Amino acid sequence: MGSEEESAVKEPLDLIRLSLDERIYVKLRSDRELRGKLHAYDQHLNMILGDVEEIVTTVEIDDETYEEIVRTTRRTIPFLFVRGDGVILVSPPLRTA
Amino acid sequence: MVGSYINTHKFLSGFSSSSLYLFIAHLLSLNNPVLQLFFSYFKDLVGKEVTVELKNDLAIRGILHSVDQYLNIKLEHTRVVDQDKYPHMLSVRNCFIRGSVVRYVQLPPDGVDVDLLHDATRREARGG
Amino acid sequence: MSTGPGLESLVDRMDVYCASYPLDLCFSCVVIMENFVLILFCLSTETISVITNDGRNIVGVLKGFDQATNIILDESHERVYSTRVEGVQQLVLGLYIIRGDNISIVGELDEELDSNLDLSKLRAHPLKPVIH
Repeated sequence: MGSEEESAVKEPLDLIRLSLDERIYVKLRSDRELRGKLHAYDQHLNMILGDVEEIVTTVEIDDETYEEIVRTTRRTIPFLFVRGDGVILVSPPLRTA
Repeated sequence: MVGSYINTHKFLSGFSSSSLYLFIAHLLSLNNPVLQLFFSYFKDLVGKEVTVELKNDLAIRGILHSVDQYLNIKLEHTRVVDQDKYPHMLSVRNCFIRGSVVRYVQLPPDGVDVDLLHDATRREARGG
Repeated sequence: MSTGPGLESLVDRMDVYCASYPLDLCFSCVVIMENFVLILFCLSTETISVITNDGRNIVGVLKGFDQATNIILDESHERVYSTRVEGVQQLVLGLYIIRGDNISIVGELDEELDSNLDLSKLRAHPLKPVIH
């Protein structure tokens, strides 16, 4: 198998294959975002990420002023399996020339 | 040997019909080959401690007892991570979690062989 | 593990499935096969605690289940959690069939731990529903 074929992007999942062992950004349902190193994935976008940072955004409404209070909570997890049905988008690392 | 113990136990208690069903289900799935990277991965993780986070925000820590092709999970020696907030499972020590309600599984660092996972993922990507 | 073909090897393989599948909650079951649907009726009297996708907690005796996690419960009751003074309320439900799609967790209830629980003193919000 030539390296050209290995790096060809014909379908969306090929882009994710090229991100193996790289840090990626994943947006999930219920206002969650992950950044971590992609170690494994399958066609459902189930994934195993390493050195993960999770950011959860919650919006509360102030009882008196009815103002929206946006809170973000962060935590880190060494290794995380992510079920694919919650994945909204996957962004590969930015490649600089 | 664990295997021989199970065998003896089985002969003593007669056939488990539920296993018969699962055996048939497995044969059916062989005719219809499915990619199963994570199924295999979780099978290798049996016996290790994991934390399963559910889509209802419950997090349950326990020893991984078994997994099936839907990634349903059975945990043993379970405890809910925030028991004061979630006392709903105080008297449950073994539980079955439906795969579809899992959001995350926190994996033990010694249960992740990064190189092995990369190879398996590339193989799976070629097959799919 | 047995190496030869035939029934013996089948028995061996079935042991593996019995030991390694999460659905195999109970040992002695009767299989009823009808229209390719298998329902396993358990002879055991195991009490289980089910958490449904809408956050309810139903406790009862497991009478049967199938591969889709549909579950038959007998003598079941719902435990309604609240932060009010009366604590956990129990609603009698009786014989219930719960569709697998709506099930989050099936837990084996440890009778001893459960009898030591004072439900009237437990205060908690009901569980959140599962959002897929």
